[in-house]
Amino acid sequence: METKILASVSGMTKRYGRITAIHDVGFTIRSGEILGVIGPNGAGKTTLLECTAGVQAADPGEVAFGASRTCRHSRSAVLFYVPDGIAPWPNQSVRWAMDFMLGFFGGRRDLYAEVARDLNLDPLMRKAVGALSKGQRKRVLLAIALLAPQPVILIDEPFEGLDLRQSRELEGTLRKQVSAGRTLVLSIHQIADAARICDRFVLLNSGELVAEGTLEELREAASSRQGHAPAQDFEEIFLALT
Amino acid sequence: MRSPESPWTWLLRKEWRELISSWAWWVLVFLMGPLVGVSFISAVSTYAEASGWGGTAGGVGEAFSPLVGIWAPTFSACEIAAAFLLPFVAIRVVSGDRQSGALKLEIQHPMSAFARIGAKAVVLLAAWLLALGAPAIAMALWRSYGGTLYWPELATVLAGHMLNAGLTIALAVAAASLAEHPSTAAILTLAITVGTWIISFVAAVHGGFWERAVDYTPTAMVAQFQHGLVRWDVVLTALTLIVAGLTLGGIWTRLGVAVRRRIAESLALGALTVAVILACRLAHPSWDTSENRMNSFSPADEQALRQIRKPLEIEAHLAPEDPRRVDLEHRVFSKLRRIMPTAEISYVYATSIGLFEQSNPHYGEIWYRLNGRSLMSRATTEEAVLATIYELAGLKQPEESAEEVFCGHPLAVPPRGAAVVFYLVWPGLVVIFGFGLHWRKV
Repeated sequence: METKILASVSGMTKRYGRITAIHDVGFTIRSGEILGVIGPNGAGKTTLLECTAGVQAADPGEVAFGASRTCRHSRSAVLFYVPDGIAPWPNQSVRWAMDFMLGFFGGRRDLYAEVARDLNLDPLMRKAVGALSKGQRKRVLLAIALLAPQPVILIDEPFEGLDLRQSRELEGTLRKQVSAGRTLVLSIHQIADAARICDRFVLLNSGELVAEGTLEELREAASSRQGHAPAQDFEEIFLALT
Repeated sequence: MRSPESPWTWLLRKEWRELISSWAWWVLVFLMGPLVGVSFISAVSTYAEASGWGGTAGGVGEAFSPLVGIWAPTFSACEIAAAFLLPFVAIRVVSGDRQSGALKLEIQHPMSAFARIGAKAVVLLAAWLLALGAPAIAMALWRSYGGTLYWPELATVLAGHMLNAGLTIALAVAAASLAEHPSTAAILTLAITVGTWIISFVAAVHGGFWERAVDYTPTAMVAQFQHGLVRWDVVLTALTLIVAGLTLGGIWTRLGVAVRRRIAESLALGALTVAVILACRLAHPSWDTSENRMNSFSPADEQALRQIRKPLEIEAHLAPEDPRRVDLEHRVFSKLRRIMPTAEISYVYATSIGLFEQSNPHYGEIWYRLNGRSLMSRATTEEAVLATIYELAGLKQPEESAEEVFCGHPLAVPPRGAAVVFYLVWPGLVVIFGFGLHWRKV
C-alpha cells in the first residue's frame, strides 16, 4: 500500500569545524509509519534528527512538507523531537513535567492517562525528574514525546536504558500510537530492536546515507551489492550495506 | 482540550518553580538579611551618634538627611548582592535549561526566543524584588524608631536598585546564553563588572571622555539614584542596555539558527545599541527627588540661572585627581549641568594628580566666559562659582530664603532589635521556607 509522504528531507549536512557529522543526507517520512534511522555509534543519527527537527542549524539542508520548503516555525507545527540522555526540569516532579508538556506545548490531554499507564509512570509521578534512574527518565521522556501535539515524533534512542520487558512493552505502545495516526521517526543503534519495530529504515554510516527503504528493499539492495543470494537476517543486511 | 493558560504563563510558572527550587536564590535571600543588617545597624548607630546620642555634641545632625545617612549605606548591601550574588542566580536560570536539555525541548515551541528570555527576566526581577524585603524591613524598623521616610527619594533608591538588578540580569543572561558552561558565563559576567570598575578608576586618573562615560556604569548609576537624582539619559541608557542584553540572550538561545547568522545579528544589535545610547545622551531632563535638594541649587538660584540665555563656557585648570576638582565637579558643576545643559565645561591639565603642575601659574584657575566677557576665579565653592556667574551675566545674586534651608532629621536612637531581625529572624525564616520547599520537592 502506497502511503502519503509527509515530509522530505534533502541535502542535510552538518559540520562541526572540520568534522562533517552528516553529509548530503536525504530521506522521506511517510504518514503512519515507524521510520528507523539506523547506524553504528557516531554515524550521525542524533545530528540528523536534530537538524531535521530544527533544534540544530544544518549547513545546508532542507525539510519540505508537500511542495513547500519549511521555516523553523512551520516545522515545529509538524515535528517534535525528544533527545536522548536529557533530564529536563530536573527539580520538578514527573507529574509537573507532563502537565507542563500539556500546558506549554498544548499537548494531547486525551492521551495523558493512557500514556502514563502504558509507560507505567504512576509510581513515579511525585518523584523529581532529576532523581530518576536512566530507564525511568527514558520513560518520562517517551511520555513527553507521546503527549506532544505534533503528528510526527522524532525520538532519539527510545530503547536506551530500558530492560527487555520494558522494550517489548514500549514496542506495543509505539505501535498503538501509529495505529492512532501518529508517525514516528526513531533513531536506534540496536539493529535487533529496529528490525522488530520499524516499517522502513534509513541506514547511515559515517554521516552518509547508505540506503533507505523497507526490509525487503534493503535486502534487494544488499544482494545486488554483494552479487549473491540475499541475506535473511537484518544484521547481515546492515553489515552488507555498511 | 487546550490549557486555559497561555504558553507564556506556563513558561512563567516553570521559570518561577525552577528559580525557587535552586539553592542559588535561597542563598542570595539568606545573605540579604545579614548584609542589609550590618549596613543598617552601622548607619543607624553613626546617625544616632551624630545626632547627639552617647554624649556627642547635640545638633551636629541638624543637616542630616536619612537618604545619605541611612538609605545610601543600607542599600549599598543590595549593590553588593547585585554584583556578586544575583549574576549566579540568573546564570543558573538560563544555563540550567541548557545543561538539563530542557532548552532543546522548549525551543521547539513557536514562541519567540525573546518571549522566552523575557519570562526569565520577569521572574528574576520578581525574585530580586522579594530579596529587597530586607531593606523594606529596615525601613519599617527606622519608622518604628521614630525616623522619617521621604517616599520620593526612597522610591528613587528602589528604582535605581531595580535598574541595577535589571542590568545585572541582562548581562548574566547574555553571558549564560553565549557560553556553553555556567562557570564560563560567571567569569564573563564578573569580568564585565570588574571592567566597569576599571572604567571608574581610569576616569578618576585620566578624566576627559572616561569621566563622562563613567556616569553610565552601574556603580555610578546606583550612586546617582542613592542620592535621589534621576537622570533621564542614564535611565534610558540603562533600559537600552537591559533590552540589548536580553535580546543578545534571545539570539544565542536559538540553537536552530546558524552560528554565522547569530553573529551577524549580534553585531547588528551591538551597532544599534551604541546608536541608541548615543541618542540617549541627548536627553537632558533630570529630577532631584532628595528631600534636601542635594543635587540642586536653591530654587532662587535656579530661577536666576535660567535667565541666562547665552552659552556659558567654563574652563577649569585642575587635574582629575585634584580634590578641588572633585569638589567642584560633585558640588557645583553637576548641579550646573542640570539647570544649564548647554553650558560647556572643560578641564585643562597636563598630569593626572596635578601635584607637579602647582608651579604653573595658571594651575587652579577657573575661567568663565559669557557673552564675550570673561572672568577668572580660583574658588571652588558653590557660593563663589555662582557669584562669578552672576557677575558675568550682570545678575543680582538672589537672597537665600530661610524656609528653603533643609534642617535635617536628627534621630538619636540606637538600632534596637535590628540585630535580632537581620541576623536571626530573617535567616531563620529563609532556612525554614527554603528547606520546606525543597523537602516538598516543589
